[in-house]
Amino acid sequence: MSLSYARDDWYAVAMVEQLAEGRVLRSKLLGQEIGVSGSATEPMVRASGALRPAELRYDHVWTTLSDAPRPLFEIAEAAEDDRTFVPCGPVTVRCSPLRAVENFLDIAHFPFVHTGILGEEPHTEVRPYKVEIRDEIDEVWATEIGFHQPQAAKSATTAIETQYQYRVPAPTTAVLYKTCPPKPDAWDVIAIFVQPETEERCIVWPWMALYDDVTAYAELVQFQQEIFLQDRSILENQKPTLLPLDPRMEIPTRCDLTSVVYRRWLKRKGATYGAMTKT
Amino acid sequence: MPARAVALSRDLPPKRVMRADVEGCDIAVWRDPAGRLHAWNNRCPHRGMRLSHGFVRGDKLACLYHGWHYGTDGVCTYIPAHPELAPPDTIRTEVYRVAEKDGVIWVSVSGPAEPGGADGATVPLRTLSVATDEVRALAGFAATPFRGAEPQQRETGRLDLGARTLVVHANPVGPDETHLHVLVDQGADLADRKALSRWCEAARTTAEAGRT
Repeated sequence: MSLSYARDDWYAVAMVEQLAEGRVLRSKLLGQEIGVSGSATEPMVRASGALRPAELRYDHVWTTLSDAPRPLFEIAEAAEDDRTFVPCGPVTVRCSPLRAVENFLDIAHFPFVHTGILGEEPHTEVRPYKVEIRDEIDEVWATEIGFHQPQAAKSATTAIETQYQYRVPAPTTAVLYKTCPPKPDAWDVIAIFVQPETEERCIVWPWMALYDDVTAYAELVQFQQEIFLQDRSILENQKPTLLPLDPRMEIPTRCDLTSVVYRRWLKRKGATYGAMTKT
Repeated sequence: MPARAVALSRDLPPKRVMRADVEGCDIAVWRDPAGRLHAWNNRCPHRGMRLSHGFVRGDKLACLYHGWHYGTDGVCTYIPAHPELAPPDTIRTEVYRVAEKDGVIWVSVSGPAEPGGADGATVPLRTLSVATDEVRALAGFAATPFRGAEPQQRETGRLDLGARTLVVHANPVGPDETHLHVLVDQGADLADRKALSRWCEAARTTAEAGRT
């Protein structure tokens, strides 16, 4: 494991809407006990008792254990006022934070795990798509992904051919740009911010920036939570718990190109908190 | 290592899959539509998902995560994401020996699955999980009277309870958890079986309290 790489990133540790007078939200971050308190205008984060930076971004409180962190990534769509912003967390999962991200980048499981929502048999085929490490911004991008979806979003009324693009701006964050059913010229944005409590336990903070002014907020949250709970039943039953980086330990196929590149990118950076580096 | 009793046959009907623990190995046990049993390493070689969460389709076991199908020899036959692709036969899961006798399923992780344990009872009664080790679990059963009679243990796992005879097959699945698969003699009627089933629960309480 490498704590040194992981320490220099920012992590979402609470939703702004959870903050309340006199309330302390306790969890862990990279093995350390943390407490999140304060208000929506003045959040406070303590790690092992000491004050840490606390930033408000994407409807969450972010913190870092580093005194010289890498900058927090940008999601441009967060500035578009006509979108609905929906934090849907938290979902605690007993798995490696990296396995949670890898699962989010995977479309081949939709017909089996999210049956009737994000996929269904016999529409199981994954056609070729593109994946690259964009060195200039140090991010993994997967593009030109198309998939048949029975109900791509709460706002979808029929099955559609959905277009996907994935972006991995940090080892424990993934952003999905996805066909927006009511507004075909725009992309819905769905991200997961994963808080690594330890190498084998994480809190997933899903966040959406959608064009959907019809569906009730609570229904949007419920739609995403149902999907993440389905994913949890998978993530807590993968062995080993840590993400293997040795290519001999798990056998990928063509549709797993995003996973292959993600694992390669982690290994190259030494971003191995939550990864299995020895066999 | 000897084979271990992992379940009663009636608890694993055709087209069903279950998880078992044998000598510390995580095993997926499933029954195909023809009634044949299969015991495999409980891990899909693709992403490490437990195959015991999978589903039986035809005479294949499919992983829940991505629907990869495995034939009765443990070799991958179909990858739904690439329907035209013939998977290489290097994609396979480890296959263990499995056997069935007197309504009990036996699995061995090394060598043949020879059903073992005591004789004297052949009718499946029930399975219980007891929160203690194998020795204390069996001792608890041997120390619990049935209809006023003290159990006589003639050999390990065989208890004579007055007119009735029980055989208990124990499978230790952790330092403090033992699964017991209990059989009764053919002379037991429905009232006997109900009474013995309740007696098993009293015996479990005795075993877990360590009052032996």
